Amino acid sequence: MNDAVWVLTLAAAVSAGTPLVFAAVGEILAEKSGVLNLGVEGMMLLGAVTAFLAAAASGSPLVGLLAGTLAGGGLAVVHAFLSVTMRANQIVSGLALVIFGTGLATFLGNPIEGDPLKPGIVDLRIPILADIPVVGRILFDQDPLVYASWLVVALAAFYMTRTRTGLALRACGESPETADAMGLSVARLRYVHVIVGGLLAGAGGAYQILARVPSWSGAGTTAGIGWIALALVVFAAWRPWRALLGAYLFGAALAANFALQAAGVDAIPAEFLSMLPYLLTILVLVILSASSARKRLGAPAALGVPYAREER
Amino acid sequence: MQVHLERRLETRTGHRALVTVLSIVAALLLGAIFLSLTGASPLVVYTEMFRAAFLSFYGITDSLAVAIPLILTGLAAAVAFRMQLYNIGAEGQLYVGAIFGSWAALALAPGLPKPLAILLVIAFGALGGALWVLPPALARAWLGTSEIITTLLLNFVALYLMRYLIFGSASFLRDSTTTNFPQGKPFPEEAFLPVLGLTRVHLGLAVALLAAVLLWVLLGRTRFGYDVRVVGDSPGAARYAGISVRRTIVVVMLISGALAGLAGAGEVAGTSHALDPSGLAVNFGYTGIIVAALARSNPLGVVVVAVLLGGLQNAGSALQSIPGGGGVPVEVSFMLQGAILLCALAGELFVRYRLRLRRGLPDELTEGARP
Repeated sequence: MNDAVWVLTLAAAVSAGTPLVFAAVGEILAEKSGVLNLGVEGMMLLGAVTAFLAAAASGSPLVGLLAGTLAGGGLAVVHAFLSVTMRANQIVSGLALVIFGTGLATFLGNPIEGDPLKPGIVDLRIPILADIPVVGRILFDQDPLVYASWLVVALAAFYMTRTRTGLALRACGESPETADAMGLSVARLRYVHVIVGGLLAGAGGAYQILARVPSWSGAGTTAGIGWIALALVVFAAWRPWRALLGAYLFGAALAANFALQAAGVDAIPAEFLSMLPYLLTILVLVILSASSARKRLGAPAALGVPYAREER
Repeated sequence: MQVHLERRLETRTGHRALVTVLSIVAALLLGAIFLSLTGASPLVVYTEMFRAAFLSFYGITDSLAVAIPLILTGLAAAVAFRMQLYNIGAEGQLYVGAIFGSWAALALAPGLPKPLAILLVIAFGALGGALWVLPPALARAWLGTSEIITTLLLNFVALYLMRYLIFGSASFLRDSTTTNFPQGKPFPEEAFLPVLGLTRVHLGLAVALLAAVLLWVLLGRTRFGYDVRVVGDSPGAARYAGISVRRTIVVVMLISGALAGLAGAGEVAGTSHALDPSGLAVNFGYTGIIVAALARSNPLGVVVVAVLLGGLQNAGSALQSIPGGGGVPVEVSFMLQGAILLCALAGELFVRYRLRLRRGLPDELTEGARP
């Protein structure tokens, strides 16, 4: 196999974008119910450390994945409780989730910092499809979780647009009063989708540690990709398939960083290459908001507003 | 019997204080669960933390020294919160303030009289922080770009910038005499902030307290403070009243960034006396958000909360060297800080609402049925 560098870079972009796919789709579901959860970074980090500990203890990356997923969901319960039941300010609650999640994850991960993870995820080459030139190497010679992320996107898109509960979800985010009048439980819908969002963020964090980075390195393990996932939701206009494409775009920025460093591009210092994904994200957000016609395109109308029936 | 929430018409200060204290207790209980999970005795750890932070002279002064940057980043978050703006980039603004302050200390301070040198370092620190927040502020004011994600992502950019200046290049701020381990160039004596006796408490404390009082006056006693509140509550009403929403947003964000930049300059000129990337990257900016939230954006409350959380952070780092707290990593204080904020948010409900237990039907149904 002597693939061109750019093909390998694109393959790496898909892998680098996969944690973003999980986290962004999860956040889309939560936001569509009307709850803004800024805690993605915290949930991913807790998912990652839990996945490492569980995988190391059991010797199975699958157990690690499950544990990481559940940890993300567990932290999301806290946000759901605060923002739905306690009607707290969702922005502050989300920030609290990041700070608490980061603190807890670095606390739990302190003893394993720098340890290599033995059982990682093994690649699964899809026969026939992987033999397609270029595309095969980029898309079908990946690990199983990359394929699983496509399934998650497809399911989320189908669920949101083609099912009754998906319709209820959207009603809940657009106009909770109407949803309530229709006999839907706003609180239950919001709880469920915030928690599912947390499960997916946890899975994204687990993927990051099981497949992407060599070891646990505290907050640097996710290094802000949870925030990039949040920006991605806006970029994708709350649509799962667009989130998939966007994730690979940002994944390319993350992967290009390593590819350029490996290629020995000396003209640009490594630190400036590392800034690229963050600067790109900021630039995209600014450009999106500059085109005012699509500023709020797809954004749920009741996003971030607590629902209190007696205060309608 | 059902639980019913009723909005309180007025909130009492005593009530708020009680809820805050109970939040801290609840957070300590929550932290105890995780401490037990790792095999540590929560009671021993908490006792040692309290002893380390508040029961000795140097414990107290060290806690105060940690509180200095926390007061400033807390004020930075609070002034923006006042108008429903979320500047969560204080961490990065602190780094850039430290970079600018270091440049002033190395390039301008040598040979100057001490007061002038210190004034320059502090001014450049504030300038650096303000410049770093300017792009997100302009984008928010003119394009409506959410400042939350943009200010946060710039934290990573600032971190890499600082690393580049010390680890990645032969910059002016890097010490050219040592080749083994890259570190910041030592400042000249003129740029050192005076310290209190043999403690680590430096002049930054006075600057931070002054900033808190000035901000309290500015927000509570001036026309500008009134504008800030109106814009925060209702931008539409503000525009109707002739207040420039855009200008207010930019000014508030610049004040916020400058305060965070001050914290960075204070750290390099008061504590490390060189630009030290690893010593600066200890979450002062993020902890400032907790400080502001717990203080409910009151500048004077920020001071009190910052001293409490400064003690917690100081105790966390002291734990490692204490026999009784051995093996408990410094991160325990970050976990506890986050837990306190989560509990305080939950407690907020009891400040705003009254819980009523009722039997039978809700009033609105029974009232209509009466003759």
